Amino acid sequence: MSTGQRTDEPGLGTLATVRLVAAREVRERLRAKSFYILSGLLVLVILGIGIGSRFVGDDGPGTVHAATVGPEADRMADAISATAEALDREAEVRSYDGSAEARSALEAGDVDVVLDPGDLVVLFADEIDDQVLAIFQQAWASVSIESGLTDAGLAPDQIESVLSPPRLEGESLDGDGGDTGLAVLTGTLAAILLFVSLQTFGGYVLSGVVEEKSTAVVELLLARVRADQLLAGKVLGIGVAAMVQFVAAVAASLVSLALSGVEVPSAIWSAIPMTLVWFLTGYAFYSMLFAMAGSLVSRQEDAQAASAPILTALIGAYVLVFTVGYIPDSTASSILSMIPPVAPLLMPMRMAAGAAAIWEVAVALVLLVASIWGVWKLTGRIYAQVLLRRGSRITWRGAFAAAAGRG
Amino acid sequence: MLQVDGLTKRYGELLAPDDVSLTVRRGEIVGFLGPNGAGKTTTMRAIMQLVAMDRGTVTWDGRPVDLATRRRFGYMPAERGMYARMRVRDHLVYYGRLSGRSASTAAASTDRWLERLGLTGRADDEIQTLSSGNQQRVQFALAMLDEPDLLVLDEPFAGLDPIAVDTLSDLLREEVARGTALLLSSHQLDLVAEVCSGVVIVDDGRVVLRGEVSELRSASTSRVVAVEFATVTPWDTAHGRVESDDGRRYRVHVAVDTDPEVVIAEARARGDVIGYGFSPPDLSEIFLAAVGRDHMEPAVVGGEVR
Repeated sequence: MSTGQRTDEPGLGTLATVRLVAAREVRERLRAKSFYILSGLLVLVILGIGIGSRFVGDDGPGTVHAATVGPEADRMADAISATAEALDREAEVRSYDGSAEARSALEAGDVDVVLDPGDLVVLFADEIDDQVLAIFQQAWASVSIESGLTDAGLAPDQIESVLSPPRLEGESLDGDGGDTGLAVLTGTLAAILLFVSLQTFGGYVLSGVVEEKSTAVVELLLARVRADQLLAGKVLGIGVAAMVQFVAAVAASLVSLALSGVEVPSAIWSAIPMTLVWFLTGYAFYSMLFAMAGSLVSRQEDAQAASAPILTALIGAYVLVFTVGYIPDSTASSILSMIPPVAPLLMPMRMAAGAAAIWEVAVALVLLVASIWGVWKLTGRIYAQVLLRRGSRITWRGAFAAAAGRG
Repeated sequence: MLQVDGLTKRYGELLAPDDVSLTVRRGEIVGFLGPNGAGKTTTMRAIMQLVAMDRGTVTWDGRPVDLATRRRFGYMPAERGMYARMRVRDHLVYYGRLSGRSASTAAASTDRWLERLGLTGRADDEIQTLSSGNQQRVQFALAMLDEPDLLVLDEPFAGLDPIAVDTLSDLLREEVARGTALLLSSHQLDLVAEVCSGVVIVDDGRVVLRGEVSELRSASTSRVVAVEFATVTPWDTAHGRVESDDGRRYRVHVAVDTDPEVVIAEARARGDVIGYGFSPPDLSEIFLAAVGRDHMEPAVVGGEVR
């Protein structure tokens, strides 16, 4: 019999199906007001931290407002500015003709400190700043040396070369990184960021799967798509929406750093691409496990309990970062960082510390990607068995038995 | 043509369905009847390939049902479900696209069904803002989108008011006239008798009766004499088994060869008869007999028993 002319696509493959499911996920999430409110709050909090630490930061070493006195006042002022700059401090120096004027400026709060070479005293308004004292000492020394050299008959350019020898650079036996404190900081920051993101975005997947099961819409969906296609689309779509939030958070963090006036260590920039790789793989791995947990329950209230084993594994990996992660060269650390559930959190730490060999990173990634494939297929089978079994919570054991029995 | 052959699924000690076979041709409406727990929903899920069976096959036009085939099957699960926060049109278009339609085909089909169901004005509203009757209409549209080859509807009329039932059964008839095969389950037996050409009745997982509704009725070895008295009148006839709810209206089940005049004459002797009739048992009586929830022997019911 004729069913009229239909413009069927020649069949919907797995990729096209996954794309359709993912696109719905992204579209619906970007349509929800809560998404923008949450993202906005996140950005505001991060910016707030930056602005807050700027005000707190004013208590730390800032611009030196200094006054100089006497016949050499101008030359002293130049020398102080130059010395301060070499020490990463800013100096604003005024020269006064007499001690009395300088003192009254100090009392009025126009300046913080007065250098009066006449009576060999550096007078501070409040606390004595040892670094400022050292700057003045060195500035005074170079002015004195310059005067001595001029008296000795040296030409100005000769004096210049004596007073400004080439700057020395610091190097370390530990290779170019050298700063282990910074490496640990970078690794720790990456671990915290990954942990919070995996938990948050995994939670989105969890509640998304429970929503589909609890509203029974999943039965309609499974009449059209395979369980593993539905799963992959869901994880991908939520991942894309999550990345929007992730990127907003990272951008806000950078703005926040700029606002706080703290200088960003270059090691953080180089850690970003690898952190992203571990985020993506870690997200794929953990979110599918969260989806598996979600497929076992029919009510949002039960979701937390069902996902407890997954959360425990994630927290376990996180704890390892702060234990074996702090001894990144150990054998235990090396082995653990290649185990799939642990790798996304521990490996970035070891990489930041420069302790991970390339082959270790490669093995960890290969194992993780293989596990993602395995978890995808396993979850797909469990999905197909349990998504239509509504009512009381299904045990993990029951789910695995069902997946092993059929499909 | 849908052909289900020997479907069996074991739940512990229980088999439901147990060796269920049925056939639905294009242009035919088959009612799938049975008490709750008889295995109807599992059978319908099996047709949609949503549950794995222990035994049995499902074929469409002689071929096993694969993903591409069942994307041409409209489905309405017993448990209704949609994305509550999705907009009506978005939801329908999405489902159409999952069925393998292009974006433009899915959109055109969606708009056509919204129009037919009087939901055009609600197209941009979220599903959750719709009344339950309107949500049910959207659920209908999801099943009917883009001219399915087969419709599998699990209790499509449950929870609908009579006007909606009327509208939707008309739409179903139009779809079937176009050439769709329709299998529906329902507990509203009057409606089934009116809409369906054939029925399959299952009980405890097994098919207990099947056939054309009119044939089942006429083939029945039982007949019903209906009598209405003007006032409450006690009546206990020896000609058959008496059923009465209010002591005024009676339905007497008699053997097919009973002379109805004799029974009615007996009634007249008891009181003031203001109406009477003689007819084959209706579908609900056949159903109750078939599933053994009736005092009638199953043997008095005609049709093909397996």
